[in-house]
Amino acid sequence: MGKKLRISSKTECDALIIGAGGAGLRFGVELLEHKPGLKIVAVTKVGHPQKSHTNTAQGGLAAVDPEDPFDDPVYHMFDTWKGSDCSADQNIIKKIVESAWEQVIWLENHGMHFSRNEEGRLSKRTFGGHTVRFGEASAFRAIYEADRTGKGIMDTLWFEALKGGISFLNQSVATELLFKGNRCAGAVIFNQKNGKFVTVLSKVTVLATGGSGQLYRVTTNCRQNTGDGVGLTLRAGLPVMDPEAVQFHPTGIVGPGILASETLRSVGGILRNKDLEPFMERYAPAMKELAPRDLVARAIENEIREGRGVVNPDHKIEHVWIDLRHLSDYVHDVQIPEVSGFFKKFVNLNPKKDLCPVRPSNHYHMGGIPTDEFGRVMADKRRPIDSLFAVGECASASFHGFNRLGTNSLLELITMGKFAGQKALEYLDQGVESPEGKPGEKTFGLFSQFLEANGKESVFTLRRELQSLMTEKVGIYRRASGLEEAMERIRELRERAIHAPIENKSLLMNQELILRWELENLLWLAFATARAALERKESRGAHFREDYPERRDEYHHHTLVRMERFGRLEISSRPIDMSLYNKKGAHWERFGILERKY
Amino acid sequence: MAQSYKLRLEISRWDPDRSKGWVQGYEIEAGGILRFTDVFRKINEELDPTLAWNSSCEHAQCGTCSVLINGRAMLACELLVENAVAQFGTTRFKISPIGVAPVVRDLVVDLEHAYERVHRSKPYVIKRVENPLKGGEYRVSPRTLDRYVEATRCINCFCCAAVCISSNKGFLGPNAMLASIVRMMDPREGEKKERLKLLYSERGLYRCHTSKGCSHVCPKGIDVAHFLALAKQGDFQGGRPAERR
Ligand SMILES: Cc1cc2nc3c(=O)[nH]c(=O)nc-3n(C[C@H](O)[C@H](O)[C@H](O)COP(=O)(O)OP(=O)(O)OC[C@H]3O[C@@H](n4cnc5c(N)ncnc54)[C@H](O)[C@@H]3O)c2cc1C
Ligand code: SF4
Ligand code: SF4
Repeated sequence: MGKKLRISSKTECDALIIGAGGAGLRFGVELLEHKPGLKIVAVTKVGHPQKSHTNTAQGGLAAVDPEDPFDDPVYHMFDTWKGSDCSADQNIIKKIVESAWEQVIWLENHGMHFSRNEEGRLSKRTFGGHTVRFGEASAFRAIYEADRTGKGIMDTLWFEALKGGISFLNQSVATELLFKGNRCAGAVIFNQKNGKFVTVLSKVTVLATGGSGQLYRVTTNCRQNTGDGVGLTLRAGLPVMDPEAVQFHPTGIVGPGILASETLRSVGGILRNKDLEPFMERYAPAMKELAPRDLVARAIENEIREGRGVVNPDHKIEHVWIDLRHLSDYVHDVQIPEVSGFFKKFVNLNPKKDLCPVRPSNHYHMGGIPTDEFGRVMADKRRPIDSLFAVGECASASFHGFNRLGTNSLLELITMGKFAGQKALEYLDQGVESPEGKPGEKTFGLFSQFLEANGKESVFTLRRELQSLMTEKVGIYRRASGLEEAMERIRELRERAIHAPIENKSLLMNQELILRWELENLLWLAFATARAALERKESRGAHFREDYPERRDEYHHHTLVRMERFGRLEISSRPIDMSLYNKKGAHWERFGILERKY
Repeated sequence: MAQSYKLRLEISRWDPDRSKGWVQGYEIEAGGILRFTDVFRKINEELDPTLAWNSSCEHAQCGTCSVLINGRAMLACELLVENAVAQFGTTRFKISPIGVAPVVRDLVVDLEHAYERVHRSKPYVIKRVENPLKGGEYRVSPRTLDRYVEATRCINCFCCAAVCISSNKGFLGPNAMLASIVRMMDPREGEKKERLKLLYSERGLYRCHTSKGCSHVCPKGIDVAHFLALAKQGDFQGGRPAERR
């Protein structure tokens, strides 16, 4: 039935970047700095690399200035380790933290418009969780470009990519990875603009597809963050690490989920439920609104669960209030103008006079495609795949463990992107390989099923149902019964999805078709997440089990899941690197298993 | 609060398979604080899954969702239903793609084509001046940065290019000019000659008539025309005297 799907053409390149966001382009630019003139293809799902999600990061990126008399890389390492709930890999922490400043300078030297202090040097500010002297005082460690640091990074990188001659393949998705033995040979790319599938054979390939926030109903993430990279990896039979480690930001603006920064609480904003009770007093009598992210998120979620939330009539989403009315005009106009502006712009409220609706919002995926310190994708606990890399939010090295500190993600993009690029140089002497099997076979299996389905289901409804299910059962609070139910229902949703028809059968810019394909990725990731969350009978960082509210040392390892066929999941583990602790260098005792107390 | 509106959207559609264009009307009920991107999504979910429209971040940071709403170029994610009703004094809206690039389908234009102009204006540092502090950052005083920082906020939404009357006549366009002006003002750029040639080329600044359409529609509030006007006069100090080094 219908058109026969086929590969229209085949091209070859030195490097294929799947996902031209911050991490992917940093990788490409690193290659070019060493070997100008390489043929590099960068694929992006959006209309142009500048539109990638890195663009929206505001806060800043963490880096210790070697000339700063108060700060020291070891403090940054400690904060990251502690913040991760002792679940990040210490070799990665060390490597990233130690090269942070150099990478910031790299960005500045390549034209990024960082904010400056009076001496014309880079300005720095404080950010939650970043301290000096092991928690004694706040560190001035976040380097920033006003409230658009991510945009500064994204621009600098696409400018450099353009200058170096990287070809952008826009509005296109990678649908299948190609292999020859233990080596990645390239990928199949579907170009939405001309409706064509092409095979791109490459000497090295990097996955840098970003986050997966669309798995949840309210998210700070963009429309394209559907976990495609993780989906591709699972379907290739490769493992995914710590899928259950999902971060929720306590205050997303209802209903879009736009990030309302922590600053609102640090300047004195009060969270209130539908009875206007300042409920944080009950959850954290001492720290109240200033308690850590996950605790505040759980408190809000609990209020909502117990019926003390408010339903927003337009978006039909439950929330609580943040009360900023008592704050002075100075605070509103000088300290929180952007966030205040978001409430005005996106919910038409004036925070000086009105209560503002917020709720926990999915924010970041700590888990992802497991890599080593060079960003090489791991086939199992020890062995990397040849010439396949993964960097950025879709990857997990793991720098963030079970909880990411603000400003550490942008840092990870530019450092891991660089390390991976450097390592990739080693694979460039070999030629391209012709892949095993028939390129496109997996893709066409899926796409023809999508195009031929003719049941009564709706792709849109299924996506919504999945998002609600994940929010309720695999969100901030998890328990065995809910997770089991979720797994059952994800299977059902997938069954139903098989019969969800697509009205327009065209391959040209068919957003319904892409949405259907994204749903497939989301379903795969959802199942892996729920199953891994069930396996981890403890609470660690952002993963909170009501039935096991404490962290347990027997789970001091990463989860590895493999699911070559949907629903057939193998779980194993990877040890957490403790080299800072084990090598007994300076301050080694700070890097043991710490009690989680703030 | 919560008022809901019965909207009538008349959306320009384009089917690339049949090379056919038409205007399709949709009647839809929408809550006051839904963004226009939410309304498009609602149309997809409730009325017509085939309507294609573009967006990414949906909070005015990426500039992907630019469309013409009743003839005005704007970001669909930034326009709330109740504000639109107030601003335009109607519940009927004509929505069409911004005319800065060929339409791919419905409201989706080929952004790559639009960006071609920005690429031509070389938004990167062409050749860096020597950095006196090897291994460190260039020193850029906050006052120097202040002169052009506003222009660095451009997200390339192309709203300005869509209204610029000169854009169709070979002009690279306001945002492309802006990208190059930023580097003229950036003390780290060492290749000012080539930049000047670019700015004063056939497709450059002289095409601008200072009609200020661009400044008027910029969702980031950048006074684009001001930067262009100064650059036309050869002023790359933001209208202020050069700072002593
Ligand atoms: C609102 C917000 C604020 C944030 N603020 C901060 C902050 O202040 N500091 C900080 O450190 N972190 C912050 N973060 C986190 C950080 O911004 C992200 O983790 C990071 O930018 C991700 O970068 P990336 O390069 O991995 O992915 P992205 O920039 O998302 O790029 C992914 C790329 O892959 C493409 N892609 C996706 N799927 C496919 C596919 N199938 N085929 C081809 N291409 C594909 C996309 O189109 C895109 O080009 C914030 C996140 C959000 C949501
Ligand atoms: S001021 Fe110049 S650039 Fe701006 S819209 Fe008018 S002609 Fe175009
Ligand atoms: S100058 Fe303003 S309107 Fe023009 S592209 Fe940039 S952000 Fe958009």
